Amino acid sequence: MDKTPIMNPAPPENAMGRRSFLRTSAVLATGLAALAASLKPLLEMNDFPSMERFLQKYYKEMTPQDMAKVLKRIEDEVEQQYGLRPHVRDLKPLDGVEYVYCLNLTRCIGCRKCVHACVAENNESRDPEIQYIRVLRLPDGSLDIDKAEHFYAPDSVPEKGYFYMPVQCQQCKNPPCVKVCPVHATWQETDGITVIDYDWCIGCRYCEAACPYWARRFNFTKPFIPKERLNPDMAYLGNRPRRQGVMEKCHFCIQRTRVGRYPACLEVCPAGARKFGNILEPNSEVSYILRSKRVFIQLKEEMGTSPRFFYYFDV
Amino acid sequence: MRRGIRNYFVFLKRCACVAFVGDWRYYAWIGLLAVICLLGLNAWCRQFAHGLIVTGMSDEVSWGVYIANFTFLVGVAAAAVMMVIPVYIYKNEDLHDLVIFGELLAVAAILMCLAFVTVDLGRPDRFWHLIPGIGQFNFPKSMLSWDVIVLNGYLLLNVHICGYLLYCRYRKSKPSKWFYIPFVFIAIVWAVSIHTVTAFLYVGLGGRPFWNSSIVGPRFLASAFTAGPALIILAMQVVRRVTSSPSPATGSSAVGSAPLAPSKHRGATLEDFALLSRHLPEMASVPSESRQRVLSMAEVLEVEPGEALLRQGETEDRAFFILRGSVVVRRTEGGRFRITRTAGPGEQFGEISALNATPRTATAMAEEPSLILSLSADALRLLMRSPQVNKIVRSRMSERLLITDRALMTLRSIVQVSMLINVFLLANEVFKEFYSGNLHVVSSKYLFVGLRNHHALVPWIWTAIAFNLLAMVLLVLPVSRSLRWLNLTCVLCIVGIWIEKGMGLVVPGFIPTPLGEIMEYRPSLNETLVCFGIWAFGLLCYTIFLRMSVPILQGRLSKENESVPGPSGGAAVPAAPLAG
Repeated sequence: MDKTPIMNPAPPENAMGRRSFLRTSAVLATGLAALAASLKPLLEMNDFPSMERFLQKYYKEMTPQDMAKVLKRIEDEVEQQYGLRPHVRDLKPLDGVEYVYCLNLTRCIGCRKCVHACVAENNESRDPEIQYIRVLRLPDGSLDIDKAEHFYAPDSVPEKGYFYMPVQCQQCKNPPCVKVCPVHATWQETDGITVIDYDWCIGCRYCEAACPYWARRFNFTKPFIPKERLNPDMAYLGNRPRRQGVMEKCHFCIQRTRVGRYPACLEVCPAGARKFGNILEPNSEVSYILRSKRVFIQLKEEMGTSPRFFYYFDV
Repeated sequence: MRRGIRNYFVFLKRCACVAFVGDWRYYAWIGLLAVICLLGLNAWCRQFAHGLIVTGMSDEVSWGVYIANFTFLVGVAAAAVMMVIPVYIYKNEDLHDLVIFGELLAVAAILMCLAFVTVDLGRPDRFWHLIPGIGQFNFPKSMLSWDVIVLNGYLLLNVHICGYLLYCRYRKSKPSKWFYIPFVFIAIVWAVSIHTVTAFLYVGLGGRPFWNSSIVGPRFLASAFTAGPALIILAMQVVRRVTSSPSPATGSSAVGSAPLAPSKHRGATLEDFALLSRHLPEMASVPSESRQRVLSMAEVLEVEPGEALLRQGETEDRAFFILRGSVVVRRTEGGRFRITRTAGPGEQFGEISALNATPRTATAMAEEPSLILSLSADALRLLMRSPQVNKIVRSRMSERLLITDRALMTLRSIVQVSMLINVFLLANEVFKEFYSGNLHVVSSKYLFVGLRNHHALVPWIWTAIAFNLLAMVLLVLPVSRSLRWLNLTCVLCIVGIWIEKGMGLVVPGFIPTPLGEIMEYRPSLNETLVCFGIWAFGLLCYTIFLRMSVPILQGRLSKENESVPGPSGGAAVPAAPLAG
């Protein structure tokens, strides 16, 4: 040490060779065993993507043939999982249509029937619970959202001194969620509906952070839907069952509205508070409402998101 | 060309070999890190199988401690530039040797950043959707796509700069300026961009008033330039310590007992000069009349291993060139000595104090029987009248591995200024939030004082503020010139800023939700394990990077000793001095 701390003499080749070989193999074996042990939870994976699913193309890049194949595969997968053959369609937006939702705050009684109808129609997970609509209870006279009660549970509704405001995706004309998505997994269609390609979303949740209406929901684990509750009438960009780790949200019931039906939340509303239709059609109910009512509320109008969801009062 | 590639692979192989050789303390350290890494990997596999439900995140607070760590580490990576600017723009010699360590820290930090964003993904199997050209890349609209570009770009830039400089050092060739100086300048701009882009990730969200504030970008930079150099100050002292040996028993006594005046010396002849020019071709450019005059002022020493040629702290004006054999240069710092480099035939030592008439900065000892040309300072100056000799001698003067206290003090002044700015900007933010008192203050209220009986973050943020203020006071006081206090200050800075811009920035942005609901967030055990795993992975990377680069910078691992047989398959670098 005192003379030369630099050069260790090279040890005799053979003796060292065998010993270091044994030692290296022991270290290597232990390392590999530890690695295998730490990878073990992967075996619990309930949803390992098949090669076909792993390589599936982006929605807008699929040819009709690709899409037909994918739709068939999805039907097979759903049938295998739920024991019920669904009908999955790729519904395109209709020409000359721009959907608008109007909600009458004077009429809404806060019964949350729309929430449950939405869950049933759109195959939303029951465990953990995912709901696209959140009904807020606000004290009369205030639209300050920080005063909203989310978990009101009286014996009966409506309650004196309060009004109710259901909030769901506002289908903005200028949607912040679409802008931030790094992989174009969410976009606005020509009929104004912002959709998600559930097979393209990488689950970064940037859109969830960007949404000023808290309208987006993430599948934190594999969604659970009881077999007997599955709605077999499905659309690719709509209510087909989602997978773990992707985003979802209200899509104005694409599987219904693009074939001329009303959204499920509207149909179930006992108070007639919900109105839906084509704003480009002058004689539609929503056109009439937007023409005749004096005051509308577009939630957080100052954000510049320009929602297609209008709240109004009967005056 | 083929030969070049082969050489490069030999270089890589030898580096890899060096990385896995050490004493029991080194093995214990990397073993510990590997175990924590595997625990983290295990936790991540569980998350991959069952989904992000195993974390504490929810639809209400949809980003948590992963993104918090990511944000902090982007800052650390960006701060490496604070070492680069003084060196390349202001030619600060103190920091010169630390630049590579800073850039290697940047590489390790970026690797951690990439790991943190990957574990945050719900579908990591779909990562390829993010690859431009193959997937769908929402560029330039999505700030996240910008982040993908700037982070990977910064990684490549730093890997290139460090790799190139180290390889040149290994080959003992002078780095060609065109191959790295442009990249250094790009990297400086790029470093600012990675942190600004990360700030814009938050700032761009109009629906989150807590983040939607233009001061977030400057605050990010200020806190990064505080925490980053603070981390480097600590890391450099660790490097200095592990590359040194305790001096009391063995080191200093060995140096002390070695005779300073070598027993054998004789006058220098033209043959000696010819021998030197063989190793140092630039010497051939010295005109013959100068040679005679130089030789008259020189002598040749024959030294045995362990003989000291000069000693740290002493003042005398001789410079040395090695004709045959090798010399080890070691510094004593804080009671420990550290080998700064080894020099072989044709290389010089002692020239800095000879030219500047300053005390010796290190002790030089022969490590094998050697032949040394000893010159007076005047003779050296005469030699350096030849432009070629001047250039080579000057360039080698700057190729030293010195982590001086002065360099640490330079970093201290960076931390000092940045911390003052950081606290000032924080005060600005707090004033704007609370004085105006509009409805957007709710998130800040939640963070600083609690909201409607929810105050999970209140103790954290006040700890952070206390740490930041205390660190600021310490930095302003002269007491932080002592290393012990400086280290305490650095720890306060790092912890304070980690809380403030990690959890203190990410989580309150989500509370309350845009619909006014309050749901608190607490990281789960699994999530915490993943974080520890990634930090261990980063430390492991950095340890290995240092393990490879230190012997190269010391000149102990070079192309010249390629053929020397070593303990582990051709790695001629002994473990002893590195391990202590």
